[in-house]
Amino acid sequence: MWNAAAALAGASLARAAAPTAPVSVARCKTYDPAELVPTMRKMFDQLGGLGRLVKGKTVAIKINLTGSPTYRLGYLPLEDTHYTHPHVIAAAAHLMAEAGARRIRLLESPWATADPIEEYLLRANWEPRDILGAAPNVEFENTNYLGSGKKYSRLTVPFGGYVFPAFDLNHSYADCDVFVSLTKMKEHATAGITLAMKNCFGLTPCTIYGTGAGIDEPSETPHGGRTTVHAGDRQPSKSAPPEKDPRSPRQDTWRVPRTVVDLVAARPVHLAIVEGIKTMTGGEGPWIPVEQKLVAPGVMVAGLNPVSTDAVAMAVMGFDPMADRGTPPFERCDSTLKLAEEAGVGTRDLKRIEVAGASIAEVKFDFAAIRRQRRAAPPRPFGIRG
Amino acid sequence: MTAPWTPMRWPDAWKDPRMLDLLKGTAIDHLVIGMGAELSAVRSRAAQGGLHVSAPGAPPVGVEIVKGEWPGVKMERAGGGAGAGPTGNPWVDSNGWAIRLAAALHPESAVWVDAAPAGNAFITAGSYLIAVADSAAYGGRWIVSLDNSLATSLAAGKSDALATWKRLAAAAGFFAAHKAWPAYAPMAVVGVVSGFTGENEFFSQELLNLLARAGQHCRILPKGGITDASLVSLRAAIYADADPPAPALRKRILAFVEAGGMLIAPPTWGEVPGTPIRDGGNPRYSMRALGKGKVAVAVAGRDDPYLWANESIVMVSHRYDLVRFWNSGAAGSFCTVAPDGRQAVAHLLFYAYRGPDSATVRIAGVYRAVRAYTADNPAATKVEWAPQTGAVEIHLPPVPQYVALELDI
Repeated sequence: MWNAAAALAGASLARAAAPTAPVSVARCKTYDPAELVPTMRKMFDQLGGLGRLVKGKTVAIKINLTGSPTYRLGYLPLEDTHYTHPHVIAAAAHLMAEAGARRIRLLESPWATADPIEEYLLRANWEPRDILGAAPNVEFENTNYLGSGKKYSRLTVPFGGYVFPAFDLNHSYADCDVFVSLTKMKEHATAGITLAMKNCFGLTPCTIYGTGAGIDEPSETPHGGRTTVHAGDRQPSKSAPPEKDPRSPRQDTWRVPRTVVDLVAARPVHLAIVEGIKTMTGGEGPWIPVEQKLVAPGVMVAGLNPVSTDAVAMAVMGFDPMADRGTPPFERCDSTLKLAEEAGVGTRDLKRIEVAGASIAEVKFDFAAIRRQRRAAPPRPFGIRG
Repeated sequence: MTAPWTPMRWPDAWKDPRMLDLLKGTAIDHLVIGMGAELSAVRSRAAQGGLHVSAPGAPPVGVEIVKGEWPGVKMERAGGGAGAGPTGNPWVDSNGWAIRLAAALHPESAVWVDAAPAGNAFITAGSYLIAVADSAAYGGRWIVSLDNSLATSLAAGKSDALATWKRLAAAAGFFAAHKAWPAYAPMAVVGVVSGFTGENEFFSQELLNLLARAGQHCRILPKGGITDASLVSLRAAIYADADPPAPALRKRILAFVEAGGMLIAPPTWGEVPGTPIRDGGNPRYSMRALGKGKVAVAVAGRDDPYLWANESIVMVSHRYDLVRFWNSGAAGSFCTVAPDGRQAVAHLLFYAYRGPDSATVRIAGVYRAVRAYTADNPAATKVEWAPQTGAVEIHLPPVPQYVALELDI
């Protein structure tokens, strides 16, 4: 009893001490640059202006291209459902350059390949030149392996880490002045939601943390997904820091939220941008075997603290950011937000977060209601033909 | 390339000539019948019935035999799942590249694929459809070869066996009804230049195999027959041989590069003109700019055809993909254009146990109309399609394992 009371008191203290930062919310109904660029510019102004953050700096932007580029939800283009939309990426790059960013590096660890990101985008039916041409100083790097670096960069988790004390990552995550997480607003089968923090799960190179990672040293090229982190069925390559406690739970619903917090603590996010203009319900990608739908919430959320930004985005989705394990969207997993708050990364308490622009109520799109309806329905047969 | 006949390997167990009645109304018009005395009645009646007859291992004049694999997704032993290549993609066995190689080496011949099912295999109707289509799509013909179980059940007149036979025969009939297609010219992104024999046989043929597995569309260019026309419309040429090219061939390929193409070659190619490119994007290749094009010389030589195949695709760029698939599962494609240039045909093959539910395919090129055909339903199927910049995107409804798209240019 005493222990439980002490834990509660400790959690409250952590919540009160966790940093906060303003979050901007905007209605944005289309990907038309004529609407998108001014909307994003205004949002960044509401956060104090981009120039203050990026002028003269190297900016690294982690985008979200989860899953294979050859996998669509039905016939829908990937950018409408689960990839960060290329117009949003281009608009962000354009505005960063306009605000004086010296160099803009677009980063992702794409599915099971060391191919250049540009080639990956072509397979998704995108035109990479549209993004590279958004500003004069834009470039891509595939961070799923060593890439153009000479060695991996070790980033340490300041609070010691839940699962990992430090990570060996592609150099791009260390060789930058400003780090941005630019993601899609989605639910997630393992972590409940995938917003600015969960996007950082993809920082980990599969050459070290993936199915085909080398045992002693990183493999040259990435193979498969991140089962090392999901299931904990093996340790990362021995050249990288191992887990703190190999006897800790092996359930992905325990491990993934904690590893995400370790990552955002090791690689602090200076600007979090959540794009929910169009997206999907039911999970992070079309491979999740539940009923999924294209939806158009027409909303964007951005903030200077990833926990606070995700908290506001969760509220926009109709979820309670204070929810704990057992409560939607965390019915069967731990809350990344709660863990991050307890680690001192940021607050999820809406009462402590200043929201600029549109109110949450104005732009709310009720993923939570769709989720309740979906979970109440009998499971659908797999595939159209059952 | 021609395909005048639809061949079938007559099951040795079918000694009763009345089994020939099964062929009535089908496209099968050439039987490969064993030489045993117990089949002499079958041979006689087949010949009397107007069927062409040949012996195993003795194809008629004008036919090249390719010893092939049973096409499909390679399954692991002991009932395991589908095998996968080093990138994790399903490992598909297809005879397409071998058919095109035989056609390149023997352009006046028909190509038959000899790929019988394993002795104890149980083959589904869908798998037979793939076997027929995997050869015919590339202009060849699979020698229809029944598994023992199907042959026995057909002899016993079992209805499920007859249903499988009907589907197989329909697939063979579909391609026989499109006799002009084998003469259509293949579309390609890269040309593979080799003698394809001797010390170059393994590397060059494995390269063709692996390029096909990675979805690249190739033009096969035997060294002896290359003209200026051979390289037209290609983005790149891969010189796959250990020995350097003859001066005339070298000159021709370098002219192709200067006009904007790319050459990928081993160091044995010899000295390369042009200016070095400092960061060529792939440390395994030394890059040089030459005219409007580039030369990539593999630093380590012809070390690994898998790496060569996959690296070449990235060096050439997916920008020039002829075909892109979404939600297709393990798929392959072969694109051709009619001699008059007014129509293209894209053959789409889906190697899983059934076709996809909601696949999308993007075909490079500008087209005015698209029609889809399946072997089960030779009438055109309506498909949704939309033009894109330099391509069309087609949304396929639930389809079987083979679809032909006719595209009006």
